[in-house]
Amino acid sequence: MTRPIAYLSPRADAHAPFADLVPHDLHLLTVPERALPDHEPDRFGALLVPMHIDQRRFADAAPWIAAFFQAGGTLVFNGLLAYPFRPELKPFQPLARPRVDQFRVRIAADHPAWRGIDPNDLTFRRGVAGFYGRGCNPPPAGARILGTIDHGTCPVDWQWRPKEGGRLLMHAGNDLWMYARDHTSAGALTPQLLRWCAAEEVVS
Amino acid sequence: MTAPIIVLDGGTSYHAFSLNDPVLGPWYDRRLYVDDVSAQALGQAGTVIVPCRLNPDWLVAHSDLLVGVLRQGGTLIAMGETEPQSWLPDIRFTPVPTNFWWWLEPDGDLGLGVAAPDHGLFDFLTLSEATWHYHGTFEPPDGAVSLINDAGGGSILVDDCVSWPGRLILTSLDPFYHHGSFFMPAATRFLVGFTQWIQSGMPIRRHRVGG
Repeated sequence: MTRPIAYLSPRADAHAPFADLVPHDLHLLTVPERALPDHEPDRFGALLVPMHIDQRRFADAAPWIAAFFQAGGTLVFNGLLAYPFRPELKPFQPLARPRVDQFRVRIAADHPAWRGIDPNDLTFRRGVAGFYGRGCNPPPAGARILGTIDHGTCPVDWQWRPKEGGRLLMHAGNDLWMYARDHTSAGALTPQLLRWCAAEEVVS
Repeated sequence: MTAPIIVLDGGTSYHAFSLNDPVLGPWYDRRLYVDDVSAQALGQAGTVIVPCRLNPDWLVAHSDLLVGVLRQGGTLIAMGETEPQSWLPDIRFTPVPTNFWWWLEPDGDLGLGVAAPDHGLFDFLTLSEATWHYHGTFEPPDGAVSLINDAGGGSILVDDCVSWPGRLILTSLDPFYHHGSFFMPAATRFLVGFTQWIQSGMPIRRHRVGG
């Protein structure tokens, strides 16, 4: 049986903003950020981390996160990394005084979550660019670059396999599910991301 | 020696990047992570800043400490998306849907206006520095001053020197979030000017001519 997907919520009584869009055959739980260490690290197949969490608290849970990876967990981390939760990670690096053309998203590798999505629909919302990402959380050695900005030079999205196991999907920008209700090809990103999370054993 | 300026730190990326900023960070005497806040830690504070988007769950759980700052004559500054109506008494707040797109319209105007042009804050910033978007409006209590109003007459920045032994400043702007997320240059300019005003003792009256 597939293990549930957990959404790490900054608020004690909040649900994932996309909870109503989760496919019926997937099981999504909300875990308040303070309660994360109370759960066994092998309880969840995937952990979705939004941009507004207390990253300092999350980094303090580094042993829990390592055990989660060891149990084969998939971690989807959104936001600007300020408190690296593993020694291989480094803080966010913003683009210096970026121009609009540098915000253009390019999909760098085939990945089930981004499949079929027009990168222009990620770059622009109502014609405005810059929501997707404005820099990168530097990828560790061996990471697979999935998406870039700044003319292909800035790895805004990447996937990496920690030495313990599991998968880390990093997105250095606003939460990927901000597109969940967009009436563009980007609307497919959230359900495809959840499907990919649930397919734990398939290494893409 | 003046009483110290304490800024709370919610551990978010934008609190970290704003407070690590070599321009801004040194202007605050002490940065206090939420797990380290206590009555003793806040006891000597002249000013306590609750930066925007500090987790309201934490603020509700620690409202007695923050009310204590006001009762003891200190200044408390609460910024946008911290839901002060849930952890301070008698706050009248109306959330408004965020308009990210006003500047895309022909002759786009967010609709903000200076309500107290003689207030000392405006020696340090202008309306344009407070104009990106906002998250709601306050109804100031009698005797408090609104510095900036929206088109409907609600306040997005209140200076309340009358309701407490101390001073309460409320805003629905979220400059730490934007500065620490590396976008919205107006928010950066606001935060610099606002912090310089705090550093100057938060004068109520303007001293400079014009501007």
